[in-house]
Amino acid sequence: MRFNTLRFLIREGFRGMVKNGFMSAVSVLVLVCCLMITGCAYLLIENIDHGFESIYQENVVAAYAEEGTDKEGLAAIEKAIKSIDNVAEVEFHSKEEQLKDYSSDKDIGALLTDLEDDNPLPDTYMIHFKDLALFDQTVKKIEAIDGLEQVDYDSALAKMLTSARSMVFTVGIWIVALLLVVSLFIIVNTIKLTVYSRRLEIYIMRSVGATRRFIRFPFVVEGIALGIIAGGVTYGIVYGVYELVMPLVDLGKKFTPVPFVTVWWQLLVGFMGVGVLIGIIGSWISLSRYLKENME
Amino acid sequence: MIEFRNVHKIYDTGVEALKGVDIKIDDGEFVFIVGASGAGKSTFMKLITHEEVATSGEVIVSNFKLSKLRRRQIPYLRRSMGIVFQDFRLINTMTVFDNVAFAMRVVGASRREIRRRVPYILGLVGLQSKAKNFPMELSGGEQQRVGLARALVNNPSLIIADEPTGNIDPELSYEIMELLTEINRRGTTILVVTHEHDLVQSFNRRVIQIKDGLVVSDTKEPEVAMYEI
Repeated sequence: MRFNTLRFLIREGFRGMVKNGFMSAVSVLVLVCCLMITGCAYLLIENIDHGFESIYQENVVAAYAEEGTDKEGLAAIEKAIKSIDNVAEVEFHSKEEQLKDYSSDKDIGALLTDLEDDNPLPDTYMIHFKDLALFDQTVKKIEAIDGLEQVDYDSALAKMLTSARSMVFTVGIWIVALLLVVSLFIIVNTIKLTVYSRRLEIYIMRSVGATRRFIRFPFVVEGIALGIIAGGVTYGIVYGVYELVMPLVDLGKKFTPVPFVTVWWQLLVGFMGVGVLIGIIGSWISLSRYLKENME
Repeated sequence: MIEFRNVHKIYDTGVEALKGVDIKIDDGEFVFIVGASGAGKSTFMKLITHEEVATSGEVIVSNFKLSKLRRRQIPYLRRSMGIVFQDFRLINTMTVFDNVAFAMRVVGASRREIRRRVPYILGLVGLQSKAKNFPMELSGGEQQRVGLARALVNNPSLIIADEPTGNIDPELSYEIMELLTEINRRGTTILVVTHEHDLVQSFNRRVIQIKDGLVVSDTKEPEVAMYEI
């Protein structure tokens, strides 16, 4: 395709969008509504997942070193724990530190002051996992490390969290997929009206020997442009509403909302990408149907 | 150039529009297609432009065998012809120049070619001074001349004019027919569908009369054909 022709087709796409201003506005509006519902569903899922993540992080495994292990031994144990793939983080709490921490507690502080010379608390490793689905295997690996006296954990909670997260993820995927299909259906029908309003141009193109690709191109350009506009508008609205509403939501300390800055690029790319994709597929399907019914 | 070999056309509704038509039109001819409403004229034209496909028989246009035409070849068949419509079918938001240039852009012409060719064609139909006007600012006759310029601009070997004078004043109709005659003189085949007796009788050309889906006369004596409509 010649550069001149390409430029003409791109210009035609934008011209069509401006010329059919009302239909373009309707398409953008419909797309914004669909993207907004999809975006809200995504943010809701992200927040639920974030809530689980907080509980997830608290579900640590405590491993206690054997009594009398020297500094080198403790360091070797820590190194061995860290070398396990699924271990995200290891916090070491020495018996002295723990005694100091507990001493400040008004209930058990007095009880422990007498034991200063014979500290009964063990050197402890608080271990966070990357993936709770691998909980049992990882615990077994920790238990196999020499120098550890005992490993404490709550396997049932880990399993419950893993299945809850996976359920939220699966349901989320289906909801978003369903909303996207609905959006596509609405956009196909909206663009069909745009195509219908421009049937004279299409007929003339066809009668002077335009190829299907040539006829389709401006509509695809229009679809892309509408998708970008709709994506940008949706992003702006969702950002504004989220920043306005989320500070007002109080679900307790454990459920802090996902900060917008952590999801901004996913949303921007998502809205633009999905908007453009729906614009392209929508215009392609609408025009293909129209050409099939009216061209040959 | 155009050949119909025992062509039948039956629509999905069961209407038999053409019932075995045999016609041959050579390059450079000027032919009137006449007949009453519903006689099969439109179907005849649509088979040439491949908007409809024959149920049986063979249609050959510009060396394309239409029964064997692939979908991707259709644009190239249509580039070999220019179509003039009764209702002009101009894009009202484009100027006269752009309406004509649009047909060139569609086939991928360069800007230079467009700048050179469009003024020439507008000059040919006597509209060089109206290039910047919009269709709604022109008379019916002028609008039809724009339509004719658009049909001509890609230099087709065949012009199909479907009731080209149906929407314009009688005196302007002759202007359009004179233009078509001039274009024919330069070697382009012209096919005019009309039911205007006076016009057909004024131009001594071949007349094909269609009635009830059949060619009932094919003569170079217009008077004979007109008596039979």
